[in-house]
Amino acid sequence: MSHPKKAHSSTSHTVLTGTFVCAWCGLTVSAAAGDGTRRNHCPSCLHSQHVLDHVEGGSSDCHGRMSPISIAVLRTGDWMVVHRCVRCDELTSNPVCADDNQLILMRMAVRPLAQPPFPLEVFGEL
Amino acid sequence: MPGRGRPNRRTRSTRRPQRSKDVLHGRGGRGANAFRCVGCRTEVSPEAPGTTHRNHCPNCLSSLHVDRRVPGDRAADCRGRMEALSMSVRPDGEWMIIHHCVACGELSANRIAGDDNALVLVRLALKPLRDTSIAHRVLLTL
Repeated sequence: MSHPKKAHSSTSHTVLTGTFVCAWCGLTVSAAAGDGTRRNHCPSCLHSQHVLDHVEGGSSDCHGRMSPISIAVLRTGDWMVVHRCVRCDELTSNPVCADDNQLILMRMAVRPLAQPPFPLEVFGEL
Repeated sequence: MPGRGRPNRRTRSTRRPQRSKDVLHGRGGRGANAFRCVGCRTEVSPEAPGTTHRNHCPNCLSSLHVDRRVPGDRAADCRGRMEALSMSVRPDGEWMIIHHCVACGELSANRIAGDDNALVLVRLALKPLRDTSIAHRVLLTL
């Protein structure tokens, strides 16, 4: 709860109970992660919900499901999950939690190499 | 000659004619949508194989924050430089570049073009796997 804007804009349901139900897999997860940070996506399927407006700040009325589409790497080497709202196509990036599903994270990281748009064999000669 | 600004050593008779320039901000004509990349200063032509919306430099993949929602609407007044952040894959297997605005932090997803630098694309796709300690830890927990 170090970020006042984030804590203010979370839904009242999440504040009251400290848990939320995943919009994709239905898992009930606690809003606080193990290391004390605030969770914004399901640790099992990494899906999120569009409740925060990242352009103007504050809460968003969309409430669409946000699916994970990509892994971004910060300069510090930390991984971020890029989410895309299936209703309004808004993109957000969120830090990876320690207890996130490592299989899905790794699958997203190697996904571009599974279907390259050009043959990757030529890079072996470089 | 007073009031003419910078003195010119050449006389009027030997001065070469002004070279022809393309009006980049006008509508239509050659070079109407050509741009100079904000990242590597490459002159980029608007014709891109495989896409009708050239929105990033084929050499360094940098972009400019000019569109808000619809590609080509030119509705954003940020004008910040957008750097390629990560690579995403559509369900149909097409690569998408996630751009991140350096000025305002906005994210956008753009299709790759046919003449994008393949080495830079693969470097971007391999970015999460560069730090082998993370991948090692991930594979251990599986």
